[in-house]
Amino acid sequence: MPHHPKSRLAVLAVGAAILPAFAAYGPAGPAVAADYPSKPITLVIPYRAGGSTETMGRIFSKALGKELGTKVIVRTRPGAGGAVGALEVSKKKPDGYTLLFAAAVSLLWHPLTRSVGFDLDSFTYIGQITNYQQALIARQDAPFNTMKELIAHAKTKRLNYADQGPMMRAFIDYIGTKEGVKWTGIPTKGGGEMVPFLLGGKVDFAWSGGIHQRFGGKMKVLLSFNSGRLAASPDVPSIQERYGVSMPSQAVIVGPKGMDAAVVAKVEGAIKKAVADKAFLDLLANKLRFPAKFTGHKALSAQIQEVIAGMKRVIAATKK
Amino acid sequence: MIEQLIAGFGNALTVTNLLFIAAGITLGIVIGVIPGLGSVTALAVLIPITFYMSPLAAIAFLVGVNKGGTSGGAIPAILLNSPGTPEAAATALDGHPMAKRGESQRALKFALFSSVTGDTISDLLLIVLVVPFAAIALEFGPLEYTAVLLFAFALLSGISGDSPIKGLIAIAFGVFLSTVGLDPVDGSQRMVFDEVELYDGFPLFSLAVGSLAMASVLGQLFELWRARGEKRLSVEEYARIETRLPAREFFGHWKTIGRSALIGSGVGMLPGLGVTLAAFLSYGAARRASKEPQSFGRGNPQGIIATEAANSAVVGANLVPTIALGIPGNIAAALLIGAFIIHGIVPGPFMLTNHGELVYALFASMLMANGVHLVIGRIGIPLWARIARTPRAIILPPVLVMCIVGVYLPNQSIFGVGVMLAFACLGLAFQRLGFPIVCMVIGFLLGGMLENSVRQSLRLHQSDLTAFFGSPIALVFLALTLFVLLRALRRA
Repeated sequence: MPHHPKSRLAVLAVGAAILPAFAAYGPAGPAVAADYPSKPITLVIPYRAGGSTETMGRIFSKALGKELGTKVIVRTRPGAGGAVGALEVSKKKPDGYTLLFAAAVSLLWHPLTRSVGFDLDSFTYIGQITNYQQALIARQDAPFNTMKELIAHAKTKRLNYADQGPMMRAFIDYIGTKEGVKWTGIPTKGGGEMVPFLLGGKVDFAWSGGIHQRFGGKMKVLLSFNSGRLAASPDVPSIQERYGVSMPSQAVIVGPKGMDAAVVAKVEGAIKKAVADKAFLDLLANKLRFPAKFTGHKALSAQIQEVIAGMKRVIAATKK
Repeated sequence: MIEQLIAGFGNALTVTNLLFIAAGITLGIVIGVIPGLGSVTALAVLIPITFYMSPLAAIAFLVGVNKGGTSGGAIPAILLNSPGTPEAAATALDGHPMAKRGESQRALKFALFSSVTGDTISDLLLIVLVVPFAAIALEFGPLEYTAVLLFAFALLSGISGDSPIKGLIAIAFGVFLSTVGLDPVDGSQRMVFDEVELYDGFPLFSLAVGSLAMASVLGQLFELWRARGEKRLSVEEYARIETRLPAREFFGHWKTIGRSALIGSGVGMLPGLGVTLAAFLSYGAARRASKEPQSFGRGNPQGIIATEAANSAVVGANLVPTIALGIPGNIAAALLIGAFIIHGIVPGPFMLTNHGELVYALFASMLMANGVHLVIGRIGIPLWARIARTPRAIILPPVLVMCIVGVYLPNQSIFGVGVMLAFACLGLAFQRLGFPIVCMVIGFLLGGMLENSVRQSLRLHQSDLTAFFGSPIALVFLALTLFVLLRALRRA
């Protein structure tokens, strides 16, 4: 690879020259906060266009713009499971004109496991608008119907499951260590690859980020990976009830750390109202099948701390 | 099914719909012409516009964009030898030599007609097979994917350049490049040096546009500079050159057309394999079937037919897993799924039962789109051919700018532009040393898939290699791989 280190250095050099220009401005003063927002706001979505988060973000940005009385411009900046866009926003001025809409997990898993250029405290959590519907699922005809039966089954033979990344594998293996069973995670690239693995019988169960809801009678839910139960399966227990940990499930709007409290309050209030927007609710209820869920700055920040503590326990227990 | 299809035509055959299809195809072709911007970018840019349309108009529009974007890539490949996407690189292999002979209009016609024919065959297959074939796609697990990918590499090594060894080395180098980034299993860093932009590996578009389009354009500019200007064909000479392509001559290649459309459809039905693999498998198959394999790469129209028929056939067949299973066949199909969802249609096993009417209207729109595509593409050919008559010193510099814009736009990443420039240099070096750069790009593209499938297989079967014997599909493809490789090496 004779060329790439050079190009990387060149890019770093350019980046190093540009970044201070952005960082030089301090946090916005109260005078700025009073007339916020006085210009359009950029909402960065760190995923590829066309996914459920991006779809949601586009509709929500309209409602948010209406509430704030300005334009909210959506910009996608995909890469590294959301880390590229998150890194970019973390380096911006905390003036409320650059916000990030992402799955909370994109802001937590990377900094917990490696260096990515931003930390757990690089962001101001302003509000949550929904919960991803993360579940442990199996084929409808699988020989187990509950988590208990699955574990009993796993004690008779070695099972395979489809995960969609190291974090999912860590959580499922954490369940394994607590229950004294061993199973093998098969990495799959997103729901599109997981579904044929599961339906084609290559794996026994799988982690799903919500895609299972499109497959009604073909899949069943055994456990919720959220801290609470899932909207569509209220009878199925959550991982928090059983094992005292949970995966981050919040879709959140955050800004760079050090945002002015008045600006945070203004955006928070607008988010709260925008979550009740008709077009947004219609998209959530009828198309994505996620429940609308608003959580404000304070409560959300506390929730995130709790999730982080659980994730740290999972990482410690599954580290080889 | 016929009744439903007729009802579908009843719903879809409106003037508004036809206009949206035409607009989609035109926009798709125009965007596809810019190196680096293929149907994927065209879809991503245009989906937000469809928020304001009715579901059917939106889908018809996007289907048009997808078709136009896939075939538009052939135009710069043929005229300027600057393919913007890996699959168009196969078109350039024979298309550009034809254009150099002065047959650019004929080459463009071959490309357009093959594209439309391949597409139509694949759409018909989609309509007939959408339900039964979904079941077969489920049989393809990691073992089978591994075997198919190895087979693709073996075929690829024989495709471009004179030496299969050099081809294999270039492929291996491409596979090596694909290992940069986060490890797909445990997420550990591999050769990323803490650079977050590299976590997903080298961006494919940057790598492809840099080493294929930009390197070729730079190479041509150097040539011009050294030759101090160029000798151009005069207007009279152009007038004498054959531009006609009678239907009889085109359909005389029916064997290649049919084979390529089937290869494209087959690849399209398997999620994840994609347009490029189809184009190169089909090119390789046409070359192997030909009585004069050495004429490929020197302007044999069968090379264009094989590529264009196959890569357009992927577009229709890709909707088989999309509609039947809710699994996108490639990124373009994933974007279509996103658009479906926005318009209240949830792809998956229930799409046919819940939205049957709309699905058949979609099928009808696809068939109509093929007709519209033929007309619009045909009108465009004389316009595009003018480019071939313009001095290269005027045409090429703007192409360089378009390469940069095309790579920067989708992700707005300067890093991506840097990677592209680096790979443009690498592409030039490969040209001089006689290594086929196309093989490196495909090796890079398929290398990630190969690693994924191999590691999934190893974990799934507890590292037991005898698992291959449990899968007849995998065994057949492995045997074919060995056969192709041994033959290629013996000839060398």
